[in-house]
Amino acid sequence: MISFQPTEEETSFIKVAKDFAKNRIRPAARTCEKQRAVDQKLGDEAAELGFLSLELPEDWEGLELPLLTQVQLMQALSYGDLDIIQGLQGAGDAASFFRLLRDNPVFKDKMVDLTSGATTVLIDLENNDELSENQLSLRHDHDGYILQGLSQPVRMASFADYALVAGKDSQGKNVIIWLDDSADWMVHQGDYRLGLVASGLGRFSFENVKVPLTHVLVEGTAADDILREARNRIRLLQAAKETGLMEAALDSATEYTAERKAFGREIAAFQGVSFRVASMAIETRIANHLVLEAAVKADNREPSAERLSLRALHRAHRSLRYVTDSAVQLLGGHGFVRDFPVEKWMRDAQAQVMLYGRENDLLVRSGEQLITGEEEVSVT
Amino acid sequence: MISFELSDQQQQIKEMTHWFAENEIRPIAMEADKQEKVPDDWLDKVNKMGIHLNTSSFSGGGDKDSSGKKAKKEREGNRMGVLATEEMAWGDPAVTLSLPGAGLGGPPVESSGTPEQKERFLSIFKNDEPRWGAYALTEPDAGSDASAIRTTATKVDGGYILNGQKIFITNGACASWVVVFATVDASLGRSGQRAFVVEKGATGFSCSRLAEKMGLRANETAELVFEDCFVPQENLLGGEALYETSGSKPSGFQVAMKTFDSTRPIVAAMAIGIARAAYEYTLDIVKHDYPKQGDFFRMASELLGECEQDIAAARLLTWEAAWKADLGLANAKEAAMCKAHAGKTGLDICAKCLELLGPTGLDGHLVEKLYRDVKVFDIFEGTNEIQHLVIARRQYAPHGIRV
Repeated sequence: MISFQPTEEETSFIKVAKDFAKNRIRPAARTCEKQRAVDQKLGDEAAELGFLSLELPEDWEGLELPLLTQVQLMQALSYGDLDIIQGLQGAGDAASFFRLLRDNPVFKDKMVDLTSGATTVLIDLENNDELSENQLSLRHDHDGYILQGLSQPVRMASFADYALVAGKDSQGKNVIIWLDDSADWMVHQGDYRLGLVASGLGRFSFENVKVPLTHVLVEGTAADDILREARNRIRLLQAAKETGLMEAALDSATEYTAERKAFGREIAAFQGVSFRVASMAIETRIANHLVLEAAVKADNREPSAERLSLRALHRAHRSLRYVTDSAVQLLGGHGFVRDFPVEKWMRDAQAQVMLYGRENDLLVRSGEQLITGEEEVSVT
Repeated sequence: MISFELSDQQQQIKEMTHWFAENEIRPIAMEADKQEKVPDDWLDKVNKMGIHLNTSSFSGGGDKDSSGKKAKKEREGNRMGVLATEEMAWGDPAVTLSLPGAGLGGPPVESSGTPEQKERFLSIFKNDEPRWGAYALTEPDAGSDASAIRTTATKVDGGYILNGQKIFITNGACASWVVVFATVDASLGRSGQRAFVVEKGATGFSCSRLAEKMGLRANETAELVFEDCFVPQENLLGGEALYETSGSKPSGFQVAMKTFDSTRPIVAAMAIGIARAAYEYTLDIVKHDYPKQGDFFRMASELLGECEQDIAAARLLTWEAAWKADLGLANAKEAAMCKAHAGKTGLDICAKCLELLGPTGLDGHLVEKLYRDVKVFDIFEGTNEIQHLVIARRQYAPHGIRV
């Protein structure tokens, strides 16, 4: 039966997340940005409340929640501040791989323990910059792989204890490898000013690092399936975070324009203002619904899950840029200065969409699947 | 629990209406557009089959069924309504709007009529011959501002005398009755408004013209004139009691506005059906005729990807509005959101499909007709701008600001 009603458990957990977002995350946003890292105490609180282990398997002391529940929680948390959410240390985007590869012998052999708050960085070769001469490459060697080159900027690089590298090797075969020795890489701290400054952005550099087969989690067709599913999950978790930021920007712009007066009346009374707020509300709702629907498909492991995750993230990117820019626009000069959070949110939003897949590429890929595969417009 | 799965009943009605749209509606779509009329024998045939554009179940939320008994199951009439309407409009929107039944006149009778009025006006839609209901609000000088209507209702012995003109009335000439909004005193504004059911053949009630339109040509759009038209007391919708008990509230106006909360998701669903028809038609051509790589393939992937995304987005918004109505929750904001998005993107989608078809699309292709048809879905039942106003009002309501 079609329903937009979260379960009672979800509603309770979402309330905890939203309260944490409003009362603990939002007030810490500027300080964390200045320190270029999330406050340790805040991170510990988030961990204690279980927010860092939503995706992790239960036997890894995670909550192993359905994606549908997780996207609602991520949205609620990101309402506080996206930068802080992206800077919370732990399994990060690699959590989806841990969930899918929980029984992998490499993890067992190496006694990997992520419960102590260790940080893993995901380096997805899908995001490689083909124009770069020194782009990160994975080359097959007779008894393993060779990693060489410079990665794209990834979040949490500055805090990395472990790295999980996933993507195609030089021969086009998918491989997922586990790196647990930080001596293998160097992190280039770079010069990041646009946004998500507290999220530990950096590039990984590898100098012909030999990766033995004992560090290969999975390769070939088995890796294809894992990669596809993990990427679907990551796209949706990221899209959900984006809807949380949209909601924050919408509420903030509504509140400001309801109070701010010009020409003797609240500026909300001018349709140029109120109609833009209405459009922001529509876009926020659309992004939310597309994420929810895709999450249901992903939980059910349906064939359309990949296309729907591409679709949801594309729309979230597009809507996020529109909504956060609109919030700044509606605040006028006050939107541009740091007295209000909307300027930060717009910067964070732009950094976020740059990190997680080119917008047009996501759209074209979802369209290609329509032409070559499914015919019906999804939803059911 | 959040779910996008159809119930058995919802799935059944979706499949049934799709079958009807594909096998009965679509085959006559292009010819009906050319003739600017849905054939009488076709209407007679489908009426005998019991197919109606029945909006009487789309009358908002509540936990009671039409017989007044406590319903045991979750109400799903609004969700079934939008599912069915999308499929029918996918077949053809003009033919769908011409189907016999109470049409947009149904919801105000259902929501505000007395039990006697509901019985009298809603029970006429039988299989012996096709009959229609209609809804007349718009006037030459009162469109989006429905509070500005000038059709007058003068109280006389045993009823009211109506004088005025209504325009853009779907099925207005063929309707057996029309819900007409008029004012007992224009200086009272909204609170002076009343809703009447004017029956075909009433003295002083006539159709002055049928409009020629950009699209929806097969569907009748009438101009109605009321010249000293007597309407008996029993045709005042809801009876005098409705207007007395509402105190200072603008009751007649509220009848008109309340209707929108249930009809806007239906209209949105129709726009979605049209957009989907254009998208599927074009996708089929792209699949067969376009190269599978290169610039054209990339352009097609991008445009069709956007079309499909906007269809899904509009549908989810529409389902949410219908779901809220079924649960009896206030849904004015959601109804406006889905109508605004579906109406606007419906045209965008048809335009993208025409771009993919190129000049060939001008010559006898369904999509150019759908492009002409869909434009009005961003206008009637409240323009896109009015939808934005409704959304903005709800958005600012918690801050005590009325925009």
